[in-house]
Amino acid sequence: MAAIPALHRFALFLAHDAHRADDLMQETFARALVHRAQFVDGTDCRAWLFKIAHNLHRRTESRASRELQQDDATLEALAAAGVYAGIQDTDPAGAVFEHPDLGEALERAMIRLPEEYRTTVVLVDLEDQSYAQAAEILGLPVGTVRSRLFRGRRLLQAELVAYAQDAGLLRPAGRIAHDDDMPACD
Amino acid sequence: MMTTCQHVIEHLWDYLDGELSGEQTEAIAAHLAECGRCYPQYRFQFAFLQLLVRHRPRIPPPSRAMVDRLRRMIKP
Repeated sequence: MAAIPALHRFALFLAHDAHRADDLMQETFARALVHRAQFVDGTDCRAWLFKIAHNLHRRTESRASRELQQDDATLEALAAAGVYAGIQDTDPAGAVFEHPDLGEALERAMIRLPEEYRTTVVLVDLEDQSYAQAAEILGLPVGTVRSRLFRGRRLLQAELVAYAQDAGLLRPAGRIAHDDDMPACD
Repeated sequence: MMTTCQHVIEHLWDYLDGELSGEQTEAIAAHLAECGRCYPQYRFQFAFLQLLVRHRPRIPPPSRAMVDRLRRMIKP
């Protein structure tokens, strides 16, 4: 966890934007969780995370408008588990989502959500469309709809949790993942 | 069929969205009934999705351009 400030600086340098840097950090940690068996004990954990972040950034830049693929949905699901891990000690059942003050925060978060994610969230979560139906409506593969939906939900959750912590509805996160989920970073 | 925690977490939203086969749904339901680590995450994600549904009328709609695009798909 000591690597976070350094990784954030690196991500800001790569992305030139705070929001994209946060996104890159989340993706980096999600990928590190998936591939944690590849980390070699005794090597520099920060360097390993930097390499992942750089590869992700380069991939994002090079693919530009290429669609999210099926694998990204799995990463998004794991990243959402990371959001949950950050508050599971203070709110394990998501009671904060029933707080009346969260409605306006949700509206703001939805407005800020990039359109491709917002459209998918609206279709599936608000309009009760199946993944296949949303895919047909949007002219996209089902895997892409799933990836966009999961990312949209994860971005919304992260923003709502941050708002709830700032507003004192939740205690600030003490961690973002289980200690045994990641290699130790000294 | 043995269902691991990682499998459940990866497919929790698919499960909540009713997108899994009957066999997969049953396997995850059985796992959630037994697993003290995964069940709270299920409740957390369920509460989040309920929040979206409760605030359905207040959410800004997709942009005009997206609506037009959808209309063109319906009536080319």
